[in-house]
Amino acid sequence: MPTEQELQISPIVQESLMHNSRILHNLQSLTASLFGVSAGILGLESYSGFLFYLVFSLLTAALFYAVRVAPTSLAAGKAPLDTSRYFKSPFEFWAGGLMNELAGFILTWTLFYGLVRA
Amino acid sequence: MAQVPVQTIHRDPQLFYWILFPITIVMILTGVLRHYASVLMASAPKKLDQKTMREQRALLHGINVRSNYHVLSKSSFTARRDALITAYESGDYLKDPDARGQPPPNPMSDPSAMEGMMGMMKNQMAMIIPNTLIMSWINAFFSGYVIMKLPFPLTIKFKSMLQAGVATKDMDPRWMSSISWYFLCIFGLQPIFNFLLGSENAANQMAQQMTQMGPQAGQMFGPGVDPNKQFLAEAENLAVIEHHSVLDGVEQRLLEGIKV
Repeated sequence: MPTEQELQISPIVQESLMHNSRILHNLQSLTASLFGVSAGILGLESYSGFLFYLVFSLLTAALFYAVRVAPTSLAAGKAPLDTSRYFKSPFEFWAGGLMNELAGFILTWTLFYGLVRA
Repeated sequence: MAQVPVQTIHRDPQLFYWILFPITIVMILTGVLRHYASVLMASAPKKLDQKTMREQRALLHGINVRSNYHVLSKSSFTARRDALITAYESGDYLKDPDARGQPPPNPMSDPSAMEGMMGMMKNQMAMIIPNTLIMSWINAFFSGYVIMKLPFPLTIKFKSMLQAGVATKDMDPRWMSSISWYFLCIFGLQPIFNFLLGSENAANQMAQQMTQMGPQAGQMFGPGVDPNKQFLAEAENLAVIEHHSVLDGVEQRLLEGIKV
C-alpha cells in the first residue's frame, strides 16, 4: 500500500481507471452473451453449461491480460499476472465479470437452447 | 433407483414466432425508447444568478485548495488559506449576508427545490409505467403458454415463479411460461443495450436504480443546507492542514533515480 506522499508524487487518475474498467466491462458483457449463444447452440445442459461459461470467461480474462495488459505491465517491472498498473483490484479483473454478466449469459443460453432444441 | 424419464412436451413451433420474438423485441424497443425518453426529458441545468454561483464556486475553491495543497509551495498555500479562512468566517461570499445564523428555509417551500423532486418523479415514472404496461400486456395475451425449457435444472420452489398461470402439478420446473421469459429479459438485456446504445445508456431500469442508490452529486448545494455552516466547516478543514509539498526532498529522490 503506497503512502500518502507517494500517491501525491505519482497520483492515480480516477478518470483513466474508470475508463479502463468500462472497457473491461464492455468486453465482458459482450463475450458473456456470445458464450451464451454458443452454449445454447452446442446444447449444453446444467453443469456443463456453467462450466463452459466459467472456463471461457477466465480464458477471455487471460487473453485480455496477455494481449493488452502484459506487454506494458511487464515492461514496467510488475510481476506476471499483476494487473495493478491498470486496474484497482485483481479480483475485478479476473472474476468481476463472472457474476455481473451471468444474467446475460443465461438469457442468450436459454434463448438459443430453446430455438435449437425446440 | 428408477430413472425419472425426461419430460417432453410437444409445442407448436409457431409459439416462437408469436410469443417469444414479440416479447423480446418489445423489451428491446422499450429499453431504447426509455433511453431516448430520459435523454429528452433531462432538464438543462438551471441558470444560477451571480451571487449563488459565487457562493458555490467559493466553496469549491476551498475544497480544491484543501485536496491539492501538496502542489502549492508553502508561502502560496499559506496566502490562499489565510485569504479563504478570513473570507469564509466573515461571510464575504454568502448569497445574502443578512441571513446569517437564521435557520434555513423549509425545503418544500423553495421553488428550486421542487424542480429536483420533479426530476426524480419523472425518472420513477419512466421506469414504472412501461413495466406495468408490458406486464399486463403479457398477462392479457400470453398467459398460460409454456414456451421454453431452461437448460439447467431448478428446484421445485421456482415452479410458482416460472410457471405462473400454468396449473400443471407434475410438470418439471424447467419449463417456463411467457412471463418468466419477460423476467429473464429484464435482467439479461443489459449487454444488448450496451451494444446498441453505448455503455452510458439509461435503458435498463435495474442499472438506473443502482445509480440512484449512489450518492447524489448535487446534494452539496441542495436545498436546506446552510451555506454559512458549510463555509465555517471548510474554514476549519483548511486551518488544520499541515502543509507539505511534493517537491519536499526532490533533490534526494532525483539523485537516487540517477544510476551512474
